[in-house]
Amino acid sequence: MSACKDKDPRINGIKTTIRVVPDFPKPGIMFQDITPLFLQPKAFKDSIDIFIERYQGKNISVVAGIEARGFIFGPSIALAIGAKFVPLRKPKKLPGEVISEEYILEYGRDCLEMHVGAVEPGERALVVDDLIATGGTLCAAMNLLERVGAEVVECACVIELPDLKGRERLNGKPLYVLVEAY
Amino acid sequence: MMRSISLNFSNLSPRFGAPFRGRLCPSIAVAAAPISVHSHRNHSQSFRISVPPVSCSVQHQKMASDDGHDPRIGRISSAIRVIPDFPKPGILFQDITTLLLDTKAFRDTIDLFVERYKDKNISVVAGIEARGFIFGPPIALAIGAKFVPMRKPNKLPGKVISEEYALEYGTDVMEMHVGAVEAGECALVVDDLIATGGTLCAAIRLLERVGVQVVECACVIELPELQGRKRLGDKPLFVLVS
Repeated sequence: MSACKDKDPRINGIKTTIRVVPDFPKPGIMFQDITPLFLQPKAFKDSIDIFIERYQGKNISVVAGIEARGFIFGPSIALAIGAKFVPLRKPKKLPGEVISEEYILEYGRDCLEMHVGAVEPGERALVVDDLIATGGTLCAAMNLLERVGAEVVECACVIELPDLKGRERLNGKPLYVLVEAY
Repeated sequence: MMRSISLNFSNLSPRFGAPFRGRLCPSIAVAAAPISVHSHRNHSQSFRISVPPVSCSVQHQKMASDDGHDPRIGRISSAIRVIPDFPKPGILFQDITTLLLDTKAFRDTIDLFVERYKDKNISVVAGIEARGFIFGPPIALAIGAKFVPMRKPNKLPGKVISEEYALEYGTDVMEMHVGAVEAGECALVVDDLIATGGTLCAAIRLLERVGVQVVECACVIELPELQGRKRLGDKPLFVLVS
């Protein structure tokens, strides 16, 4: 579901901050740069508020944020809804015992890690990232949480690239985004 | 009342390499000059000296409890986990991820920073990748400032300025977007921890190169033996746990 379909008046203010940078990280890619959103305190706060309004009072005890831009959104949501924040990181960043989930990239593989013991069976979790493209990273994140017995309630992103069909890759898990980019 | 004193904080923090018990009495420390100074000790006296504001300086604020020792700090300190031999043998890694699992302690951490920095004309909170991204945005949102990510090379799209800085072996580079901040703005630099201060110094230089005034550096944890505070020179440092 996309919030812009709900005609929330805050969405436009958020959408107009997103900057497209051509040929980044490589030629042919139109990169959706969310950093200008953080330079507009009202728009940034609105984006967080929309997520908080959606998830408060839903018994969500875990917000998992995907390194690194998921770290910018996730903690504020977690703090407001009274949930733990769990960082999901690239390999070898988290100290101590971790579980790893490998996932496929366009060329090659990557790996996402979560701390053992951060999440308990039966907890209800949200996964947060700035953007969903192919959905590979979000899938890996969901797998990590489900492997330890948590229930992933929803994935939340600011931006979706619908042409890359990430939503379908989530295997029926709900996805909530604020802005669709084509 | 204005006077300058030299502070000798009782060093209750672990020596680098010794076990951390998490029950110490952390110090709330601000560099002695030029803005404000507060000493926490394990006795009744607390010294508080402040100087009048200079453009956007941070004045010291009264702490929650009478003897100057904020009651929230103990829980924050206890929530930090120490992992031995990470990322390499001999290093005791201060892991804040356990703090993020304690909703009250995480909330208190942010509140302590917000109480210190709100209404101080700070328009920029710069957070250092990646753990500075966890603490910086909630502070920025609460005080109505912009959040500016300071990143490793080739992560920020578009035009950036870069600052090289020394590591133990070799160098690294930190980048900031061109145009994110404007000359004359007042900024805070946030990271989870200050060790040698190299990364914080690079962040300060990036901001100062574009004409921003860095008001203070704010970290959850300081490793005092590594003398990062000294490396920041005249830039004040505020930490919750030492």
